[in-house]
Formats: sequence, C-alpha cells, structure tokens
Amino acid sequence: MQTGSGVEAEFDVLVIGAGHAGTEAAVAAARLGARVGIVTSALETIGQMSCNPAIGGIAKSTVVREVDAMGGIMGRAADLATLQFRMLNRSKGPAVWAPRAQCDRGLYRRAVRTLLEEHALLSTIQGTVRGLLMEDDGHRVTGVETIEGRRFSARAVVITTGTFLRGRIHIGTGTRIAGGRAGESSSVDLAEQMERAGLEVARFKTGTPPRIDGRSVDYSALEPQASEIEAFDYSWSHFWPTPRRGASGATRHPSQLPNWITYLEGAGKEIIQREIGRSAMYGGAIESRGPRYCPSVEDKVVRFPKAERHQLFLEPEGHDTHELYVNGLSTSLPPEVQLDVMRTVPGLEQVRMTRAGYAIEYDYYPPTQLESSLQVKAVRGLFLAGQVNGTTGYEEAAGQGVMAGLNAALLVQGRAPLVLGRETSYIGVLVDDLVTRGVDEPYRLFTSRSEFRLTVRQDNALRRLAPIVEALGVFSADERRVVAQRLRDEDVAREIAESTSITPAQAAVVLEPAGSAVLAHAVRIAEVAKRQDVTLLSLFAAAGVGGELSPDAVTTAELELKYAGYFQRERVAAEKLRRMGAFALPADAPYDAMRSLSVEARQKLGALRPSTLAQASRVPGVSPTDLQNLVIELTKAGRG
Amino acid sequence: MSPSSSPPSPLQLADDTIAALATPSGRSAIAVVRLSGRAAQEVADRVLVPPLRDPRRATRTTACRDGARLDDVVATWFAAPNSYTGEHLVEISCHGGAVTPALVLAALVAAGARLAEPGEFTRRAVLNGKLDLLQAEAVLEVIDARSRAAQRLALTQLDGGLSRRIATLRDDVLELEALVAYDIDFPEEDDGPVDHARVIASHEALVVALEAMLATAPVGELVREGASVVLAGEPNAGKSSLFNALVGRARAIVTDVPGTTRDALEAMLDTARVPVRLVDTAGLRESTDAIEKLGIEVSHGWLSRAHLVLACGETAESVERTAAVVARIATAPVLRVRTKSDLHPASPGALAVSAETGAGLAELLSEVERALLERADSSDFDAPMLATERHRMAIERARDEVVAFRRAWLEVRHPIIVAAVHLRTAANALEELIGSVDVEDVMERVFARFCVGK
Repeated sequence: MQTGSGVEAEFDVLVIGAGHAGTEAAVAAARLGARVGIVTSALETIGQMSCNPAIGGIAKSTVVREVDAMGGIMGRAADLATLQFRMLNRSKGPAVWAPRAQCDRGLYRRAVRTLLEEHALLSTIQGTVRGLLMEDDGHRVTGVETIEGRRFSARAVVITTGTFLRGRIHIGTGTRIAGGRAGESSSVDLAEQMERAGLEVARFKTGTPPRIDGRSVDYSALEPQASEIEAFDYSWSHFWPTPRRGASGATRHPSQLPNWITYLEGAGKEIIQREIGRSAMYGGAIESRGPRYCPSVEDKVVRFPKAERHQLFLEPEGHDTHELYVNGLSTSLPPEVQLDVMRTVPGLEQVRMTRAGYAIEYDYYPPTQLESSLQVKAVRGLFLAGQVNGTTGYEEAAGQGVMAGLNAALLVQGRAPLVLGRETSYIGVLVDDLVTRGVDEPYRLFTSRSEFRLTVRQDNALRRLAPIVEALGVFSADERRVVAQRLRDEDVAREIAESTSITPAQAAVVLEPAGSAVLAHAVRIAEVAKRQDVTLLSLFAAAGVGGELSPDAVTTAELELKYAGYFQRERVAAEKLRRMGAFALPADAPYDAMRSLSVEARQKLGALRPSTLAQASRVPGVSPTDLQNLVIELTKAGRG
Repeated sequence: MSPSSSPPSPLQLADDTIAALATPSGRSAIAVVRLSGRAAQEVADRVLVPPLRDPRRATRTTACRDGARLDDVVATWFAAPNSYTGEHLVEISCHGGAVTPALVLAALVAAGARLAEPGEFTRRAVLNGKLDLLQAEAVLEVIDARSRAAQRLALTQLDGGLSRRIATLRDDVLELEALVAYDIDFPEEDDGPVDHARVIASHEALVVALEAMLATAPVGELVREGASVVLAGEPNAGKSSLFNALVGRARAIVTDVPGTTRDALEAMLDTARVPVRLVDTAGLRESTDAIEKLGIEVSHGWLSRAHLVLACGETAESVERTAAVVARIATAPVLRVRTKSDLHPASPGALAVSAETGAGLAELLSEVERALLERADSSDFDAPMLATERHRMAIERARDEVVAFRRAWLEVRHPIIVAAVHLRTAANALEELIGSVDVEDVMERVFARFCVGK
C-alpha cells in the first residue's frame, strides 16, 4: 500500500463523521478487530442529536434494538440519557409496542463518546476532511487528508457526513448560510471530490423547528405529558452489562421530565398563510424535495387548510437547560414570523426564541450507486452510510452505520460482506430498499415497508441478529453469555408454557379480571395464553412458574404462541425470499439480450443490476413472469 | 430440418420472422395473413408486387410466388415498435377459403419466414410490453371466441374494461391498506387514531366490489364455454327432430363429442348473446342408466352438468313425467317443451314447437337464452366480466382474505397489524391480475388523507 510520507497514522477503517451513522460504523469495525479512526470537525459534537431529541418510535425502535443486538451503542446511550419515555401503541398489544425515548442531548452526546472510547482500537480525531487519498485513477480509496494538513491512511473509508456536504441553511427567503447544522460549517471540498470520482449527486431538504426558553412559557395553560418510564421501567438494552445500572437492575437514567402539549390554532395558521411567500420552502429559495411524513408547518397549513389545529409538543432539551424543542413546528419562515406565530399559541404568548427553525438543503448520493454492503460500486474501499444515502432519522443512520462499519472491516480482512435479508430485520429492509429501489424523498422506515412486520419486532431483535454477528466475532465471551441467557429464557418460557398445566382456580385470578371465560379443568398454559386479553406473564405468576425468567423473554414467547399461524405465514414467505436471495445474478448478466423479459424489466434490471433474484423481484416493473423467465435464461446460459 | 430441432421454448423467443393466418381457417370472404419480426418487410417485399412503401397505409398489391400471381391483396406494414407485436409487422388481407390464404402463407415461408407457434404473435406482444397479461388472455380468447357474445366480452377486456375494473378494486384495497397503515405507523398525529367505523366502511366497500366481480364469473364462463342445454324425454318424444330443427335454424356446427364413448351429439348454436351447446344423448348408446330404466332417454352425466334441460314430450303428461325425473338428478332449471305441435293441440305450461313446420322454434331459442341469463343472474351483461378461471380464483382468494381480515380483527380481536396479513395476501392475489401494490402507493394515500408529521 502506498502510504506516502507525512502519514500520521495507519488505520484499517477510517470513518468521516461522528453522528449516529459514524459512531456505529466505528464501533462495529472496532468490534471486528479493525484499527479504526473516526474523524469529526469537533469532538464535542460526537453523537449530536441535531433535530428532535427522541430515539425510537414505530419501526425505528426495532432498528435501535437491531443495532443493539449487533453490538451497537445507540440503545445504550439512549438508556443513559432518557428523560421522557413512551411506549407507543401500548394499548394495541406487545406485537406492536414501540418504545420511544426522548433524551437529554448533553447526556446522550457524552454517553456516545464514552461508549466509543471503551474500544481500545478506536481513535478519535478532530479535523475537517479536505479530501480522500485515492489510487487506481480514483477507483480505490487509501486514506484521508484534513484541512489542518493531517494525513491518515486507511484501507477502507466510511463517509457519514449527514447534511454537511454542501449543506445550506435557509431561514426565510433572504437568509442562506453555508452550514451542516446551525452554527457548524459545511464541507465543500469533499463534495467536489466525490463528484470527480464519478458519483451522481442529488439534493434533498429537511427542516427543524425553533427552540424556546422554557422560562418564558406559561405552563398553566398547557397539558403535561408525563413520562411512562417509571410505570414500565423499560430499558432498551437491558441485556447488556453496563456499569451504570441501579440497584434494581434497570439502567440508571436521569429523572424524568414531562412534555407539554399545546396547539397551533387559527390565528397562527393565518399568519403562516399570510407570510407563506417569505418561507424558504414556499418562496422559491428551495427546490429540492423534503419528506412528506415530516412536513414543515407551512406544508401542514397549505395541504390541510381545514384542519382546526395542529398539536405541538414542547420537549425538554435536557436537565442542564430550560430550552425546549417545539416539535410540530418545523419551519423556514423568517425568525420574526416564527416568533409571531409562536406567540399566538396558548402558553407561548410571551415566549422567547432561543434558536430559529430552519430548512437545510444538502447533497446526497443516490444509493443505487452502492452495493448491498454499502460500498460504493465505483470506488473500492469507500462506504457510505446515513443521510448521505438519502435517508432521514437517527435510527436509519445508525442501522446503516453498523452495516457499513462491519462491511468495511470485513473487506479489509478479506472476508465476505454481511448482507442482511429483508426477512431478518428492518436494517435489511432499509439497505435493500436503498440499493435496489433508490430514494425520491428522504427515506424513513415504516412497518409497511417490511413484508415481515410480524416476525421482525423490537422484542426479538436479539434472536434475529445476534447469532449472525456472533459468528463474525463481534461479541466478547461475556457478551455471548448474556445473549445466550436471554435467548435461553425465551426457549424455557415456551417449554414451561407447553408442558405446565394451570388449574381453573389458578387461572381464575387472571381470567376473571380480563373478562375471559373461566376454565372447566386444568389446561396447558400455552393454550390459555392464546386468548387475547391474557398475558403469559400473568399466567406464569398465577401458576407459580417461570419467575426466574426475564419478563421480556416471556412476552416474546407469548407472541409466538398467540399468533403462531400468522407468524408461520411470514416464515414461509421468508424462506422463499431466502431461496431467491441465494440465487445470485451475475454482475454482467446480458439483460438487453433476454428476449423473454419485458422491455421494462430488461431496462430496469440492466440499470440497477441487482445481485440476487430476491432483489430483482423488488425492482418495480419486474413481474413474477419476468423472474421465472430470468431464471430460465440464466440457467440455459449457464448450461450452454 | 435438422434432427436436433425442437419446438422453441415460449420463454426464449428468437428475433426471427414469423407468419400465420390471423383469421380462422374455413370459409370466409377475406382472410388475414400476418408477418412479424425484424425481417418482416424484406420477406414481404419478396412476395408483394409492387412492394409496400409507406407504413400504416393499406395498399392494394399482388401476392406472387416465383413470378406467378397468387391473389390480389390489400396489405399494410407497421414499423416497430408501433405495431401489435411491437416488431415490424405486415398484415395481408387476401381472399378467403381454404386454398388462397394457404398459398400466400406458403409464399411467405418460402421467402424466409417461419410458421408461427400458436399464440406466438400475442406472446411477442406481451414480451415487448405491448399487451399486459390480462389483455393477452383476452386476445387469445378473441382468437377462438365461439360466438359473437364471447367476442364482445373478449373485446371489452381488450379495451381495458376488466383491467379498469380490477384497477378500481386495487384502489379499494389500497384505501383499506392506507387506513390500516396509518393506524399502525402513526399513533400520535393531529388527526388522532383512525376511526374504526371508517376502516369498516372501507372494508365493506371492498367486499362489495369483490363480490360484484365474482358475480359476473359464471356469466363469463358461460359465454366462453357455451351453455350446455340438454334434451331429455321419453323414447320417440321428438328430441332428435327438435335437435336437427334447432341446428338447422341456428346454423350450428354439429360434432361428435370427443372421447372414448360416443355418447352424445353436440351442436354449437350461435344465438344472440349466449353460445349454446345443444346436447342430444338419446339413442346413441346402450345405457344402463337408472334414468333410462325410468323410461327417460338422457345420459346421467350430461344431465348433471347441464346449465338447462329441455324436458320434451308429445303430450303434457309425457313432458311432466320427464320433468319430474330430471328434477331428481339435475340442479339446472328445466324448460318444458311440447313437441310435434303440428299434430297436437296446444296446452298451457309448456312451449309448443314443431320440428316439421318450424313453429315455436324462435320462441324456444329466446326462451333458452332468457333462462340461461337468468340463471347467470346478471342484469349487466355488457359489463366487463371475469372470463377465465384464473381470474375468478384470484378474486375469490382476495375476497376470502378480506373477509378473514375482518374476522381476525373484530371477532378474534387480533391486533390490526396481525389481521392485516390477510389484506396483504388479498393484495397479492389481485396483483397477479393487474400489477403490484407498492408500499409507496399505500404511503402516498396515507399522506394525502392524514396530516402526518409530529
């Protein structure tokens, strides 16, 4: 390898950016034994939550658990920083429970940095990357150089620069600031180099709401939303050993703070309607596309003019500040209009604005340019993860970070890449959607994106993913024991349920309050647990069994009993997909010459060049008949 | 021909030029011969004198072989991709009959084309993205449409009628999926949780649409296969005379029913709206049928498969005896027919016909048609119908799954995310007919319906 003179240090994997993708990439690579450097323009901003302060939610919480199951840090950092917790969909049963933790931003950042520094092989470096060191005529990356003139060699580089590549912040139509986050400069040099390397670039926009001084809020007019963490005593990653556990065994999080709910009503909507032309989004300053599911308040007012009001959540930023995040009011109106609008909101009549909301436009690289390993097809050793791939959300970034980090290390070690199937995880869905379908708006996960949303849940992430990464050597011996214990608990819970009978008298304690018919004779616990309003935990307690098992493991076992038929349907489909995933498509398959494929299929497959039949099956325009014909064409070609 | 030659796989089409007779063989004024493929124009130029010049213009010319004139023809060429198959295509209209079209076809083959496999034009059209599978099936049915009614049905589909109807169904599925997706994925939005009444209403609309679609399925089958109308009666009730009279009147094609036992005579009647297969099973076979022991001539098997039975008899009593026996075996409606009306006075309750004079035959035919349509229970005969078993099964599957969704959700009280497995299966079943139901389609609806984005 050409390291050249002036190289300060040699790494296996260098990560550029230390947000949610970058930190996970660095940890994942370090866990595989790679020497890792992580470069960020300010070490203090490692793990910064640049937008809303929450981790988790529907589908996203499953990703957090998946990251956790693969040895990632997001879940653990959130545990240590949670100041407001909700279990979404609680009333709909554990099959759809989705935890969401709002975090103390400062605590979260510090927790991430601490967790990074636990890895001896991982070095943190402050610096702004000026460019990549390349060889092979720009087709292989060999290191990075910072504007401070420091050079580092690396055999693989992971770029996780979020919105910093040619980021441009808009506040109203008149104010444009080059920047990757409010108050932080963007990087232009790297963006230009990426373009020279032949990567196609596109632009997205996103936005963030204003933040306010809590001391100027009239709380008497507001409805508090208390944290549910005490009631549930939830911890994302309770199964990891952590030095900060309390006596109860739960992760030690800070004391909980309420959110405050208020509403944007008619008067505020009128101001927005009147001033809409001064919004960067509507005044013509921004043309790129933003996410439909995370609309600006301007979007809401324009698209739903008849809506009486829009709810706003005032969310605490941390214990060390009175600052509040005004969730629901993402905007790019001029600051004075933002303030006028807020002062129409009940409780905010006297509000002082600490930071104005803004919209940000940034470069992303259409992710169909990536292999399933997240390596750039055109540049060996270069990986992309996070918002640069056109996604949005901390969790989506973290999931990609883990995959890019693992695959960068695997590449350096000369090992086969890890590609997760859609049936294994939301991370698998995410990566597959990105590389095979691409994005036309910032990509966010929904349960609807997965064909396997019953069997891919937050509660069973460890079962789904830990064995896969354990085989790669991600875990220490201690960690393997913890994982094995948790999985064993699930198995034991099912065995007990299948083999133990519960008497009518024991069961009555559970069934009567639930309004469920009492038993006539003793019945196996597994049978009773199939009833809708009955939990396995309560049956175990009533029968006096399974008390030593982790409650979460028992709940997972319960779901397997209750919905066995439906889970089975998905598992059959998963098996089919796995077989299709195992059918590799040659990179040089002559789709143009495959006369039995529809013209559209030939064009789409030729352009995207999926690596497996499973991927081909999800390319829009490729029909089941095309797939059959494709198999026949390739089989014939192979024989001939 | 090389010894290794085997029929080309339908999945591996070569780019060669194919030719075939596009109209049914047999007596007709005009026949159309088609030529398609990369070299279609060159092949045509070797046969047509003078050659064709402008695309898409019907040109009068002469078909020749080795300098000898075969026929005066009108020919048109369509340049790829703007043709039926998406390839260069030439259509030659020549005189009909058994000989002339065959000579023209032979000349084209001699000039470099090869004879097409059955359905190969349509398959090429599908492969070149000119027809979707549904349309292609309709085309194949145009080709062997057995009557004007069947042809009309086939044409409605070709027009996208059925596709449109299924697209509407898909729309209903999407609507329901969107409500469910909103319920699962967006629990804390401005609009609050979705009203279950709204989900139920959307569900009901979908079930109604699916049922309506299924209701047309029997009609579709009837139109395609023809309705089996079976003659029954005591010996010498005049069944064979009636059969022959109806066949004569309706310009029917009479065939022996293929099979090992020659047990029925069948005629395809080209009536106005429903093709009828008139079946006479009498007297052709020694039968041990119990029915025959009851003194009625009709094959048991044909009777049980009948769409309509004509209970024939010379007298009112004979007709009633036959009808009573038939009712024990057949589920099909029974039409009472008094034969030999020229010999006997009319009596109420039965149609009087005379094979001798032709009296009552027209009335009988229209009565047969009315009874068949009534049975098919369709007041909307011209609406697009499900013409193939494949369609029917797909829609039935979808209907069952949609019904199962509601049961799982409201009766068993599974979480909606669990019950929604049924909806996905339903959407997949319909997907075979019309294309994919994509998550982006569902999400687009969610965002259009609800103000999403905390």
